[in-house]
Amino acid sequence: MSNSGRQLEIGPTDNTSDQRTPRNRLRLIPEIARESFAPYVPQRGLSRQNEWDMTRIAADLPRAQGIAIEVSGKLQNERGTPISNAMLEIWSANHFGRYRHIEDHSNIPLDEHFLGTGRVFTDSEGNYTFWTISPGAYLARPDIGRWRPKHIHISVSGGGSRLITQLYFPDEPNNASDPMAILMGDDFERNIGKPYETPKIDVDSGLNFDIVVGGRNAVYFE
Amino acid sequence: MKPSTQSDLLKPTNEDTVGPYFPINFSDPLLEDLSRFESGITAQPQGIPIILKGRLLDRFGELANGTLVEFWQANAKGVYRSPKHEGDSDIDPWFWGYGRLRAESGEFEFKTIMPGLCADRAPNITITLFSDGISRIVTQIFFADQESNASDPLLQSLSGEDQAKLSARHEGQSDCGSKIYTIDIVMAGENEIPFFDDLIREGE
Repeated sequence: MSNSGRQLEIGPTDNTSDQRTPRNRLRLIPEIARESFAPYVPQRGLSRQNEWDMTRIAADLPRAQGIAIEVSGKLQNERGTPISNAMLEIWSANHFGRYRHIEDHSNIPLDEHFLGTGRVFTDSEGNYTFWTISPGAYLARPDIGRWRPKHIHISVSGGGSRLITQLYFPDEPNNASDPMAILMGDDFERNIGKPYETPKIDVDSGLNFDIVVGGRNAVYFE
Repeated sequence: MKPSTQSDLLKPTNEDTVGPYFPINFSDPLLEDLSRFESGITAQPQGIPIILKGRLLDRFGELANGTLVEFWQANAKGVYRSPKHEGDSDIDPWFWGYGRLRAESGEFEFKTIMPGLCADRAPNITITLFSDGISRIVTQIFFADQESNASDPLLQSLSGEDQAKLSARHEGQSDCGSKIYTIDIVMAGENEIPFFDDLIREGE
């Protein structure tokens, strides 16, 4: 029995985490107010025809540099119920580790054929698929030589589901020193994709990433 | 659904930081202004239009740039657009109550309508922050000039000082007649506002 909520932790060697992580314990929500804390996200998102294939900016343009991969998996809640028609917003750095974001001022090269953002929806069984370029790792803290491991950002929304997470790659040397991976501890394993072979499609390999949305939104799953 | 015990449940995917580069091209202007409906349609959400102006601050008082801010609120009649209220005659067809914006500089301006009284709750807006360096954190913002604050169970579970930190102040009105409310959301440090744990229930 606890009288207060979780104590959030600061990501080691992450300056922004030090600046922005609340220091006080989270407060408990009186039972009568709990429902008000669970947003129900309208289906407003759009996806253009080619957005599932992030290896190209458009269907009639050449493929970006690097290794083309397929990422696929099932979206479900903690009870194993598939979540259909949810939107996945995806973004990542290019093959060299540079985001095509107006606020990424690094000197790493852009790839003229890589946008790095895309949106897809889950089907009636909760499955999703997209293609992209395996992103590059980049030096996040040059002063101490800490890298951000290869990762793909995924934001899931739709109905009672709301989750922002990152997909990591197996056997990456920089995984162990990532601040958020350190905070996740043994649970980090669940955010690493599982490789599979893709002999019949035009990508080098596949990465399976089943996503489970849990916790607060159980109110709408019962 | 069949009842499940805790051990039957799948383990959730870890939340992770949104990082600094949430794509600006994923923005949706209609999620930044809930006081109107899609253009070209004769429709208007019910209620009093308001503008919530906020500053997101870190523990050094610097603006927390690039933060993704999400809003969730009841309509003017105090009804949330959630499955629990499906078919409720007080649903406003032109108002959903979910908003989202990326606060590029760390300041934001959210246009909406004043949420209604909902059962025992004073008007409030749930705010979710996704920012670089942290995973999702949530809080609820109230309006300092509302009498019902005195009996709100969430607000009354906090100290007077903390209540003030969650209360947006009425400061003038816009050219279009919307009431303007302002709030400083200090994420960490000396003037840190209360954030809430929506994973742990009381008594667990």
